[in-house]
Amino acid sequence: MFPKRLDHARPFVTLSVILLAWIFLPLGAKVFTRASFFEIQAPLVVADSFVRDLQDFWSNKTRSKEELLKAGREVAGLVAQYEYATQQNAQLQAEILRLENMLNLPPMPAFRLEPARVARRDFSAWWQRLIIRKGENYNLTVGAPVVFAGGVVGRITEVHRYTAVVDLVTSPTLRLAATVEGDTRPVSYQGGLNSSFSAPRGTVDFVPLDIAATASAPKRLVTSGMGVFPPGLTIGEITSLELSPDGLFRNGEVRLDRRLGTLTEVTVLIPLNPDE
Amino acid sequence: MSKLIERRTHRNPRLLVFYGAIIAMAAVLAGGLIYRQLLNSGKYAERERIQSLRRVVSPGPRGNIYDREGRVLVGNRPRFSVTLDLAELRSELSAELRAVTRNYASLPEEDRPNYDQRLRLARVSVAQRYLDQVNTILRRDEQVRSARLNNHFNYSLLLPYVLLDDLAPGEYARLIERLPVNSPLQVYTSSTRHYPYGSLAAHALGYIGVNTNPEVEDFPGDDLRQFKMKGAFGRDGLELVFDDQLQGEAGGAIYLVDPAGFKVPGSEGTVDKRMPVQGRNITTSIDLDLQQATEAAMKDSEGRDRIGAAVALDIRTGEVLTMVSKPDYDPLLRVPNLAPEADVAKSGVWLNRVTQGQYPPGSTFKIITALAGLRAGAIEAADTKFTCLGFYRVGNRNFPCHNRNGHGERDVRGALRDSCNVFFYKYGVEIGPNLISAEAQRFGFNHSTGIELPHEFGSPRIADPAWRKANWQRFRLADGVWRDGDTANIAIGQGDTLITPLQAACMVASFARGQTETRPSILHDPKRPVQNTAPIALPPADYNAVLEGMEQCYSFGSGRLSRVDGLRGAAKTGTAQLGRKDMAWVVAFAPVENPRIAVAVVLEGAEDDNSFGGGTFAAPVVQAILQAWKDKQDRATGQPVNLSMR
Repeated sequence: MFPKRLDHARPFVTLSVILLAWIFLPLGAKVFTRASFFEIQAPLVVADSFVRDLQDFWSNKTRSKEELLKAGREVAGLVAQYEYATQQNAQLQAEILRLENMLNLPPMPAFRLEPARVARRDFSAWWQRLIIRKGENYNLTVGAPVVFAGGVVGRITEVHRYTAVVDLVTSPTLRLAATVEGDTRPVSYQGGLNSSFSAPRGTVDFVPLDIAATASAPKRLVTSGMGVFPPGLTIGEITSLELSPDGLFRNGEVRLDRRLGTLTEVTVLIPLNPDE
Repeated sequence: MSKLIERRTHRNPRLLVFYGAIIAMAAVLAGGLIYRQLLNSGKYAERERIQSLRRVVSPGPRGNIYDREGRVLVGNRPRFSVTLDLAELRSELSAELRAVTRNYASLPEEDRPNYDQRLRLARVSVAQRYLDQVNTILRRDEQVRSARLNNHFNYSLLLPYVLLDDLAPGEYARLIERLPVNSPLQVYTSSTRHYPYGSLAAHALGYIGVNTNPEVEDFPGDDLRQFKMKGAFGRDGLELVFDDQLQGEAGGAIYLVDPAGFKVPGSEGTVDKRMPVQGRNITTSIDLDLQQATEAAMKDSEGRDRIGAAVALDIRTGEVLTMVSKPDYDPLLRVPNLAPEADVAKSGVWLNRVTQGQYPPGSTFKIITALAGLRAGAIEAADTKFTCLGFYRVGNRNFPCHNRNGHGERDVRGALRDSCNVFFYKYGVEIGPNLISAEAQRFGFNHSTGIELPHEFGSPRIADPAWRKANWQRFRLADGVWRDGDTANIAIGQGDTLITPLQAACMVASFARGQTETRPSILHDPKRPVQNTAPIALPPADYNAVLEGMEQCYSFGSGRLSRVDGLRGAAKTGTAQLGRKDMAWVVAFAPVENPRIAVAVVLEGAEDDNSFGGGTFAAPVVQAILQAWKDKQDRATGQPVNLSMR
């Protein structure tokens, strides 16, 4: 009877041994195992992403010529607008450069722009992180800012061979030095506790007392330029502010861009001179 | 069976003793258990509570102090620091202690550090590791101070340990962006007193000291071991007088700690918490624009502070519009604004000369003498004239006029305009010291003004025969006998009469309203009624004679340097001697047709500088104040003007 019971317990014993081995495994080995696991998974994630792109491609192939012509005209219009905006930007950049030289200002930190497709987004962490389809193969670095047309997306927290994990601006683990548009004093922005598919929100702290914002008259919250993000990128809109209990500041809520929930393409800003 | 019976019947009596002992011991144990678990359970539960809970008291920020238009004169500035939460480091410290112990294991026993030394090393090593993270982000090269860190571990374990204090906004921004949200390193915000205008009105606003023992009211756990953050308390000026209002409401927290005293992590570690609340604000009557103009006017051509005081009052309400005492000090650092070679002890830098400075009133007192003479009938407003020859003989002594060639014939208006001493010697002696003293008392020169500021000079002195008789020994006078020469002296504001600049301002404000007293206040109350004290009670012709004399003094007499174009004013200059120093005085008010602002300025001259005089030195300060006031009135169009003041 005794040997039979031992035989029954074998899976539990094996599991216990594995767990114990994992607990006592050196930290380096654990990190290596985890990274290896991620790298093994990465091709699947990337392949899955490519399959979805292929699906999109075929769905677009089904469109009629009229639809494509209409879309082409719209794209041509947009291209014209962007070309005009690009010319204006070039003039403004030249003017900024001239003024910087006149005032002997240090140059603004420069970035290389690296567009990347969103490869995966887990339902369980919808507002916390996403995985993009570029990694060390494109020289992405940990901490690099990630942006999209509406402003800040987040910051890269992990870089793997072909993929990278982005901590989203909607995540409570991401904190940014921000400023209220038109003001220079830094405030602290932090992502909120957002449930999946809800309207994303964040919180803002240490807002000076002379700044007010309401839902009907919101204030734009932008990056301060004092941290890793270049200045002036939209984080969200402050929709409410209330006095902190100690009366020194105001704290409030930030409404974030709903498009953050449906991102397919983002841009990673890679500092050209990381030491600056 | 028989064996069993045999066993039962043949009991060993020694076993009975043993059983008894066992039962007794069990009874003792049971008794002890009952005593401790039932009878004393409350006591042990309380002891366990005290051992496992800690109370942290954090003071509330002080209230702000505003000027009369709501501009912040004293506020609170956020002070950003980067702190280390020691409770989060427990396992790291243990690991580091083991590592330190291993490192020294190979040394001979006598060379090995003892446990305390190794513990200190481990603490410093862990803290430095975190500080290095901060150094990397901020590009600094800071080192952990071992003694301070260990002191914090021993006495303030539950309070965050400040690694770097008073961070610049850029540093703060970089840290909040780059430090992980859940790191033991956190950006901590506290408040510190902020003086946006530096030393402006330093004596009136006062300064604060460090309160190491803030108390939190109506918060449980005052029997627990406590950790208190430093607070502040008022030490001078409004900060002292209104300390109860300005003082914030302290907050408190009760934390659950483990046997080593570290906070239990997570939300279960916080048993109770109340946030601190900011103190109430105060709105002063000070007008920032006037204050700045006065402060600027109290500097000489080289930008150095002149020694003296200036104060301006709203004539209607008695509210102080500007209050300057020089030299002053930096209220934040409490460093005197003096040249490095200056003698701080002799400078009187901590003294609020407006309320604490004791000065002979000089010729500004002639207003009182003139009123007394008119009241007594010795001076007739229309007819009385006297010829000044440059001196006046009292007894066997010639008392000089400041114009040694004599002013010639003067009535009361001309005497006030030119500040003729001889005229006032003559009529002062004629009416006698008691009537002069009574007039001065009528204007409140015999008591403090009661302004809401600390340490106001409480014993202003009007010299008269009764005072001399009572005090001649105390003040080392020759004798207690009052002579006509003493009367001549007090008639022109010399001798032993001492007043403060604030009293002089109150006197001229009262005179402007046609009344005898003004109760000054440094708090602003938009609903404060116009002051209504005892009237001067002189016929209009008599009152107007003095008023016209002052107006002439302001327009083209000795006080003409205080004149502001387009502003009808009245002034009286004075130069008083105190020891080897001359004091330059001017009191003034404006506009004459609708009195709104009363000013008193006194400047202290250098020792043995005989060129010092009120009309030359103090009048430009008055001019600057009146000009700033007029400019402001001109800007504020549409203000109702009360022409029915008197």
